[in-house]
Amino acid sequence: MRKKSLSQLIEELRNNPNVAYWHEIEPQEAKTVPMPDSVDERLRKALEQRGIAALYTHQYSAYEALQEGKNIVAVTPTASGKTLCYNLPVLQAIAQNPSHRALYLFPTKALAQDQKSELNEIIEEMEIPINSYTYDGDTAPSIRQKVRKAGHIVITNPDMLHSAILPHHTKWVSLFENLKYVVIDELHTYRGVFGSHVANVIRRLKRICRFYGSNPQFICTSATIANPKELAEHLTGEPMTLIDNNGAPRGRKHFVFYNPPIINKPLNIRKSAAVEVNHLAKEFLKNHIQTIVFARSRVRVEVILSHIQELVKDELGPKTIRGYRGGYLPKQRREIEKGLRNGDIIGVVSTNALELGVDIGQLQVCIMTGYPGTVASTWQQAGRAGRRHGDSLIIMVASSAPMDQYIVQHPEYFFNRSPESARINPDNLIILVDHLKCAAYELPFRKGETFGHIEVDEIMEFLTEERVLHYSGGKWYWMNDSFPAHNISLRSASQENVVIIDISQTANHKVIGEMDRFSAMTLLHEEAIYLHEGIQYQVEKLDWEEKKAYVREVDVEYFTDANLAVQLKVLEEDKTAERKFVRLHYGDVMVNALPTIFKKIKLSTFENIGSGPIHLPEEELHTSAAWIEFSDEIFPLGTQTLEQVLIGISHVLSHLVPIFVMCDRGDVHVVPQIKAAHSGLPTIFLYDRYPGGIGLSEEVFKRYDEIIKEVKNVVESCPCEKGCPSCIGVTEETTDDIKQTILAFLNKLE
Amino acid sequence: MSIQKKLSRLKGYMSISSQSDDQKQQLSQQPNEKVSIAYLEQWESFGAKPFFFDGQYCFVRKVSYPLHYQHGHYQLGELYDVHRQWKHSRLEHPLSSKHHEVSDLFFFDTETTGLGSGAGNTIFLLGHARVLDDRVVVRQHFLPNPGAEVALYQSFLSEVDYTTLVTYNGKAFDWPVLKTRHTFIRDVVPKLPAFGHYDLYHASRRIWKYKLESVRLVNVEKEILGIERHEDIPGFLAPMLYFDFLSTQNPEGIFGVLKHNEIDVLSLIVLYIHLSKQILGAIEMKNAAEQFEMARWFDALGEISAAQETYERVAESNGQEAAKAKWNLSLIHKKEKRYEEAVAMWQELLQDKSDLLKIKAATELAKVYEHHFKKAEEAYTYALHAYEIWKSLVRTFKQKDETREQELLKRLHRLERKLKK
Repeated sequence: MRKKSLSQLIEELRNNPNVAYWHEIEPQEAKTVPMPDSVDERLRKALEQRGIAALYTHQYSAYEALQEGKNIVAVTPTASGKTLCYNLPVLQAIAQNPSHRALYLFPTKALAQDQKSELNEIIEEMEIPINSYTYDGDTAPSIRQKVRKAGHIVITNPDMLHSAILPHHTKWVSLFENLKYVVIDELHTYRGVFGSHVANVIRRLKRICRFYGSNPQFICTSATIANPKELAEHLTGEPMTLIDNNGAPRGRKHFVFYNPPIINKPLNIRKSAAVEVNHLAKEFLKNHIQTIVFARSRVRVEVILSHIQELVKDELGPKTIRGYRGGYLPKQRREIEKGLRNGDIIGVVSTNALELGVDIGQLQVCIMTGYPGTVASTWQQAGRAGRRHGDSLIIMVASSAPMDQYIVQHPEYFFNRSPESARINPDNLIILVDHLKCAAYELPFRKGETFGHIEVDEIMEFLTEERVLHYSGGKWYWMNDSFPAHNISLRSASQENVVIIDISQTANHKVIGEMDRFSAMTLLHEEAIYLHEGIQYQVEKLDWEEKKAYVREVDVEYFTDANLAVQLKVLEEDKTAERKFVRLHYGDVMVNALPTIFKKIKLSTFENIGSGPIHLPEEELHTSAAWIEFSDEIFPLGTQTLEQVLIGISHVLSHLVPIFVMCDRGDVHVVPQIKAAHSGLPTIFLYDRYPGGIGLSEEVFKRYDEIIKEVKNVVESCPCEKGCPSCIGVTEETTDDIKQTILAFLNKLE
Repeated sequence: MSIQKKLSRLKGYMSISSQSDDQKQQLSQQPNEKVSIAYLEQWESFGAKPFFFDGQYCFVRKVSYPLHYQHGHYQLGELYDVHRQWKHSRLEHPLSSKHHEVSDLFFFDTETTGLGSGAGNTIFLLGHARVLDDRVVVRQHFLPNPGAEVALYQSFLSEVDYTTLVTYNGKAFDWPVLKTRHTFIRDVVPKLPAFGHYDLYHASRRIWKYKLESVRLVNVEKEILGIERHEDIPGFLAPMLYFDFLSTQNPEGIFGVLKHNEIDVLSLIVLYIHLSKQILGAIEMKNAAEQFEMARWFDALGEISAAQETYERVAESNGQEAAKAKWNLSLIHKKEKRYEEAVAMWQELLQDKSDLLKIKAATELAKVYEHHFKKAEEAYTYALHAYEIWKSLVRTFKQKDETREQELLKRLHRLERKLKK
C-alpha cells in the first residue's frame, strides 16, 4: 500500500463530519539580522560552528535592549530559539568581563539540567574558561564550595534560592557582588500562590544584591500569555521591555477542533475522546507521519499508548511509539527526546510534561485528548507541531466536559481572545509576612525601608511583638533561634499543611506533596480520589491531628466531589459596583466550612455513581471574595426556584471562572446563598481558596461583565433540552423548565 | 482593613507560635548609648568594661586564673608539661603542639542565637582563653545589642595575635558562623587572620563515641575530665536568655551564660591536656577500648610504629579488643612483609571466640601459603577450614552473603585444581 502524505490526510480530514471548526495559520518567512558587531569574536565563532550566523529579529531585539541596560521579557513560541535570547547576552557579558556572574532560574530541576548541557556545549566551543553549574538538592557537597566561589553561571530553581542560597548569602559573596543578569525562564509558570511566593523571593534577592552593591538586569522568557509584561513587572518589580517580534520561520498550520458525535441526545453525552484520538492517531502513524498525542493524566497516557501500539503493530514496531510522562527516569526521557529529534520515534503520547521547554524538535501532527484547560497551555502543546517549512496539523478532540464543549462551540473565544492572564499577588499578607521574616533573617531592616513597594514598619513592629525580631538603633534584627525558610514552602500558601504520603509500595512510603488544611477537607478526605501529576490516588486514611493523608495509587473511572456546608461572614467591603438588579462587592470574608458528604462522579458522563459521609471538624478561612448580590425586585419567584436558579448559575460560574482568571477549578469556590447572612439578599459568593486571597476573586470582580455574558452564552448555546452537566448541572430537584427560567433571569440582568 | 487588624486575623496561618500577652515584648526604649549604659554598675562588678568604637560599644570581660588552678582532674598549668612532652615526642600527630608555643594556643568558644551558619544566626558572645607564663587569661566579648557588631569584632580582632585555634566542633560551627558575621562588616573591621585549628570534638568522638552516650562537651567534662559544674546554665537556654536580656537589658540572666562560656574555654584547656596525655601515653592507657581506638588513629595517620606498639598492648588485654588488635596487627605485619609474625598472629586468631575473625584469619593463612610460601596443600587445608566455619555460621543464622560464599568457594576450587595437577 502506498503511504499517504500529510496533505492528502489533511484533505481527507476536511470532509470528516465531526470537524467542528477549521482554522489556518499562514506561514511566515524567517526574519533575520546579521550578528551584531559587538559580539565577542570567540562567541561569534562558537555560534557559527553551531550553524548560527545570524540572529532572528526577536533575539536581536533582546540583545540590543539588554545592551541598553533594560530588563526584558521575551515571548517566544516553542522552537523559536528562545535560549539564545539569554545565553547570548550572558556569555557576551562574561566574555567581556570574567568577573560577571549570572543566575538562571528554572521552575524544575529537570529543565535546569537540560539547560546546563546545552550551555556547556557552546562554552566548550568558545574556548574560554566559563564555569556553569547547576545548584540544587542533588549537588554534591564537595562541589558546592566551588559553585559558590567560582560559578560564572549558577543554574537553580526558586525553591533552592529561597531556602539554600539567600539565607546563606555570605557564602556567595562573589556571585552577589558581580551579579549582572538574572534569567527567569518559563515565566508563565510563576502564577497563583507559587508565583506570589517567587515574587517575594525575588524581592529578597534584589535586597541582597543591593547590600553587595550589584543591580542585576532581568531576562524573562515566557510562553504566550495575555500579560507577559505585566507578570514580569509584578514578579521582578522592575520595568520591562516586551520582546515579541518573533523572527523564526514557520510553515502553514492547520488547527482543527474535533467534536466526537453525540450518542445520547437528551443527556448530551458524546463518544469518548480517547477512542476518537486512537483512531485519528492511527491514520497518521500508519503513514509514518510524526505525531504527538497529549493526554491529561498519566493513566490516560498509558491507556492511549497501549491502544495505539496495538492498532499499528503490523505497520510499526513498538519502539517507534513511546510514552512520555513524569515518573520516567531521566535517562529514558533523554533517549525518547533524542529519538524524536532524529526521527527514530514516530509517535509519542505525553502528559503536559512535554509542554515545558524540553527540546524534541518539530513534529508534524499534534493531537490533544480534551481541551488542555487554558488557552496558553493549548498553544504550548500546539507549538509541538509545526515545522519551519511545510504544513503541520493540530487537532483538539473535545471531551464531554463543560469547558471542552464551551471551547469547541465558541472557537472565536479561543482564537480571537488573547490567552489568559497570569495573576500573582505578592502582597498577600501571609505570603508577604513569611518572606519578610526570611528577609529579616538575611539582613536587618532599617526603619522606613520598603520591600518591593511596600512599607513594612507596621509588619516589623508586629513581628517584634511576636518576639521574632528585635528593634535596636533604628533597625530590626532577626532574634529567634529558628531558620524561617525551612518552614515556608513556595508551593503553598499557609503553614499548617497536610502531608500526602503514597503507600502504594509497602516498603517504600514516600511523601508526594502537601496541601493546605482548608483544601484538604474536600480533596483529601477518606475515600477521595486525589490526582497528583495526573496519577489517581485514593485516600485510605486521613490523620487530621497529625496532618497526614495516606494515599494509594488506583485506576478508577470516577472522581470525587465533596459537599461543603459553608457559612460566610463579610468582614469588610473594599469595593462596590452597581449593575442592573445587581450589586457587586469585593472584600474580606471569613468562611466557616464543614464538609458533609462526597459524591463519586463518573469521568466520562458526569453521572453520580455513589456517595459517602465525611467526618471532619469545621475549619475557618479568612480570605478575599467577590460577591454578586441580587436585588429583591428581580425576583418574584418562589424560594425553591430561586435556589435552583442560583445553583445553576453557580455551576456554570465554577466552570467558567477558571478560564477567565487562569487557575485550577478548586482555586476559586462558588457558593450560592438564598439569604446571605449579612444582607438577607440572594447572593453568589466567589472566594479564593487560599488564606488571605491571591487575587483571583478580585479579577472576577473586575471582569464581572464579561463573565456573566459568557454564563448566558453557555446556557443558551448548550444543545441539551432541560439542563445537563455541561451547563447548569442536574440535581434530583431540577424541574423541567429550569433552563428557561435561568435564561429569563440572565436576560433581565442586561 | 488596617494591616494590624489583618495581621492579627491571619496570624494563625503564619508560622509564629502564639504567646500569652504578658510575655509580649514591649518595644524597648533605646538607651542613649554614649550617655548611659543600662546596669553599668552590675556589669562592672562582674568584671566587664564597655569598649567603645564608632559610636557603639560592646562589653569586654577579663578573668585571670593562676596556673595551679585545679579544673577537674588537672591543673591548668599542666599544659606546659604536655607541651614539653610533645616537643620530645617523635610522633607526628594532628593534635601535636610541638611546632607552636603554649601562648599561641587560643582556646575559643562562642554563644549564638541559633543553629547553623545562615545569615540570621548571630554570635553574641566570643570567649577565649590563653595560657601565659604566670597565669591563664580568659577574655569575653559580649554583644549588648545586635547593632553593635562592629564594636564587638573590632575589640575581638584587635587582640588576636594567636596562630592556632583550639575549639570544640569549631570547624563545623563556630568558625563558619564567625565568617558569616564577619562578611557583614568586612569593610570596617580588620581581616580575619588565617591560622591552624585543633578541633577537639573530632578527637573526642574518635576515642569515646562507643563509651559515652553523647560526646557533647558537658558530657565529656563530667565522664572523663572530672569537672563538676555548679548552678550551670545549660547551653540550649543561652539564646532565650539573650533574647530576654535584649528586651529587659537586665544582665542577671546573661551573666550565667558568660559564666558557662568561661568554664567552656577552661575545659578546652583541660581537654587538650587530657587528650595529649592519652595520645602521648597511649601505651599505658588503662581502658582497652580507648587504647584500641587510639591505636587505630595512629594506624590511620601512618604512625605505624606507634600503632604497632599500642596494638600490642591491647592484644595483651583480656577484652574483646584483644582479638581485633591482633587482627589489625597481623595486617601491619603482612603489609611490611613480615610473614612469619603475621602467620603467628593468624594461628592465634584461629583459636579465637569470634567465628568471623577465624574465617578471616584462615583465609589470610590460605592466601599466604598459596602465594608466598607456595604450599598449596596447607593453603587448601586453611581454605577448607574457613569454608567449614562459614557453613556452620550459615546453618546457625540461616542467612548468607552470596558474594562472600563465592569468594570462599572460588579459592577452594582453585586450590583443588592446583593440588590435582
